Amino acid sequence: MDNLELLSDYSSFLREKKEEGKKIIGFISHDNIPEELFDAAGFIPLRLLFAGNDEFMDASHDYLPPSTCAFAQSCIGLFSLKPNQYEFLDLIDYFIVSNHCVSDICASEIISKRFDIPRLNFYIPYTNNENSIKYFKLELLELKKQLEEINGKEIKDENLKESIKKYNSFKRKLLDFSFLNISGSEKLKILQKAILYGPFFLPELESFFEQRSDNEIQTSFNSKEVLLTGGSIFINDPLIDLVEEGGGNITFFDSWIGNNYYSQIIANDILDSIKNPYDILVHRFKNNNFGDHSVPNFLENKILQLEKIYQDHLKKTGRKLGIINHIIKFCDHISLLSSHLKNRLQEKGIQVLNLERDYSRAIRGQLSTRIEAFLEMI
Amino acid sequence: MSLIADEIVRFSSVLRISYNLLTGRDYLKRKKFREKKKLISIALPFSDLVYGFPNLVPTFPIRMHTFEMHKYLTYLGSASRIFGWKNVSNFLGIIKNLNIGDVNKIIDEIINDVIDAVNNKYNEMYELGIENGVPTDFCYGIKSLYGMHVSKGKNVEANLNYTIRCSAWNKYLESLKTIENPAKQIWIDIPPRNIGNALELLTENLYDGIRELEKISGNNYDRNILRNHFQVANEIRNYYKTILYDISTLGFYPCNPATFSEILVILNNSFQDYNSNAIRYRDNMASLVKEMKERIRNKIGMDVSKMPRILITPMFGGWEPKSHEIIYELGGRAFYADWDILLLLEEIPITKISDPVEAYAHYLMNATKNGIGCDNDTLTDSYLRLARNLRADGLVFIQVFGCHSISNCYAMLKDKLRRELEIPSIALNFNRIGENIEQVKTRLGAFMEMFN
Ligand code: SF4
Ligand code: SF4
Repeated sequence: MDNLELLSDYSSFLREKKEEGKKIIGFISHDNIPEELFDAAGFIPLRLLFAGNDEFMDASHDYLPPSTCAFAQSCIGLFSLKPNQYEFLDLIDYFIVSNHCVSDICASEIISKRFDIPRLNFYIPYTNNENSIKYFKLELLELKKQLEEINGKEIKDENLKESIKKYNSFKRKLLDFSFLNISGSEKLKILQKAILYGPFFLPELESFFEQRSDNEIQTSFNSKEVLLTGGSIFINDPLIDLVEEGGGNITFFDSWIGNNYYSQIIANDILDSIKNPYDILVHRFKNNNFGDHSVPNFLENKILQLEKIYQDHLKKTGRKLGIINHIIKFCDHISLLSSHLKNRLQEKGIQVLNLERDYSRAIRGQLSTRIEAFLEMI
Repeated sequence: MSLIADEIVRFSSVLRISYNLLTGRDYLKRKKFREKKKLISIALPFSDLVYGFPNLVPTFPIRMHTFEMHKYLTYLGSASRIFGWKNVSNFLGIIKNLNIGDVNKIIDEIINDVIDAVNNKYNEMYELGIENGVPTDFCYGIKSLYGMHVSKGKNVEANLNYTIRCSAWNKYLESLKTIENPAKQIWIDIPPRNIGNALELLTENLYDGIRELEKISGNNYDRNILRNHFQVANEIRNYYKTILYDISTLGFYPCNPATFSEILVILNNSFQDYNSNAIRYRDNMASLVKEMKERIRNKIGMDVSKMPRILITPMFGGWEPKSHEIIYELGGRAFYADWDILLLLEEIPITKISDPVEAYAHYLMNATKNGIGCDNDTLTDSYLRLARNLRADGLVFIQVFGCHSISNCYAMLKDKLRRELEIPSIALNFNRIGENIEQVKTRLGAFMEMFN
């Protein structure tokens, strides 16, 4: 299935949901946004996880300077140009303005203001200590209030708990899926689709497992194994092809579309022991140690995490993983610490490529060359 | 440059503030080694909490550097210790009036050096920031601040870090840990919005910060000391506002408008740490206001009533320091008021709230909610409010390369300025001091035409 088909199917899916009377909430796809709360309130969450291109980026320059992150630019461009395959964006009823980073705020604010989509605010504290966690709960309750006002009815705790469980099982399945030994591009395609649809995708995911009996699953690739960290590879981004054409295979996606999403699973004992469902979401935020939003320990945590994955992989397969740190041009979160991340990991003998790029076509040749050169070194 | 030098020497208070700004290194060395005080690095005007501990000294990191200071300013500094600054300034004024060739030149050079020295150091630190791993894509302010810490961070016991809405800023603060032998980091999280008991949480965060400062200081927190400091800090804010609201809006200035802008630049820089001595700074601000008013009363200065008032902002993340001079030469008068835009010149409400820490939490929350704002709608309203209150005729917006936060709001601001205030505006791109002067001149030239 190519992406045109994916987008067209998704469009039909959203239309159906609208016909059922559901409302759609759009947001820029990072982490910490409580999609379970939307689900419990009967909304359909729509993550903006679409990659950009020259046209989208250019179209955003009426609103933001070109030195804004290429992804945020493209999200604005999508709304501005709204090509046919993205016409489902017209179905969005509300848009979340959140502060994963400041570009997220600016882009979301512009989308809401300029394209007349009522906004809902959800702000996340930058630190992750006792008081920030308490603040996070305030935001959750504030968001609940906003949703209840729209619906004119209360969101029941048991409904929220159900939604949390539903998403939890979905993430567990995705986690299992992430271990399958299939090519990176195939894996990514499913991950993108799964995160776009959310738990609605669960039956398809399960049938994917069924169809793939063990002997069908490829067990080895001749390609160099790569872990992708940093920014996600969003839908319609050819980056994964460039990696595979260069002789690499991404076996681990450590990004918002990837581990950052499906690793945030709430343990069963927590689900059973914490009665208040908002406290469960708070608990998840507290344990989100590897996300890029929080300061001041992001770099330390990320290095520990990547080193552990690398060593585990080495022990298990005897092979080294190369790490591509994908930096979307002008991304505050991934870019600022990138040279330190690379140096610290290289000191430990782990090869890292800091791959910075925007979404322009002109840069593809250069990206291929850099990826190939890196893969040769592994 | 002489147009500015001619004027600044008449204000002994400005000479003192500039001297204190440039001789920070000696002052801080004395405090650290002789008086055994401990230095705390701060940035943006967030030094107040440190003043709650008399043996801690807040410093904006550039002040730990040696500036290429004109040797005569050093002499003047020594002379001031004997004769007092007022006499030194009078003396300079007399020499200036006599127009004695070389001496005259020396005075011009002194003032020139004060202004250029700070900017040159900024550029030097900017390079150092890049050399040490800050990607070129980040704003001038972050690159140069990182450079300052690389070069002098080892002298401080801690960095006092406040989280703000700018994610690059928060990440930059984290990145200070990557510098060799990093100083301790004290974090004070400002909640993004004032919802629920967010103010209480902020108060607790401030208390946590105080407990960390206590550990460094070795002394217990004393609310009276902090309250007394807040009184001084409020006086400083009042003087600052008097200059902005009562004096800068007059049709007669105590000096030429370029000098006036220059004074505002010096205040903008020095307000961040009050040159490491709040009482001294307060006294200098008091005399600055007095000197300005005296000159106006005595009709010494310049009639500026016909000159359009141009607000240049934001400048704290980096801007071209020649801008106000260019505007003056084009017939306008430029002013800077970044801290007021962000509501950081508001009083800390100690008269209404008895616990000084809680009062400070209110002050910070007000700045966050209504000044800086958590989105560009609020932020652009802040620009509008100030432009309206200070009767700006036009606005020059500095679009700092790599700034994804404050500089990002220009499209929205331009719209609002046109619709609500009906004043023109222009965006100037900025990357590095001195890089683009010709372009700045051309663009400002075209902009100022609108006022003819
Ligand atoms: S700056 Fe980074 S974190 Fe922010 S929107 Fe862009 S890619 Fe996402
Ligand atoms: S607001 Fe802009 S200028 Fe200020 S630190 Fe952030 S990126 Fe830099």
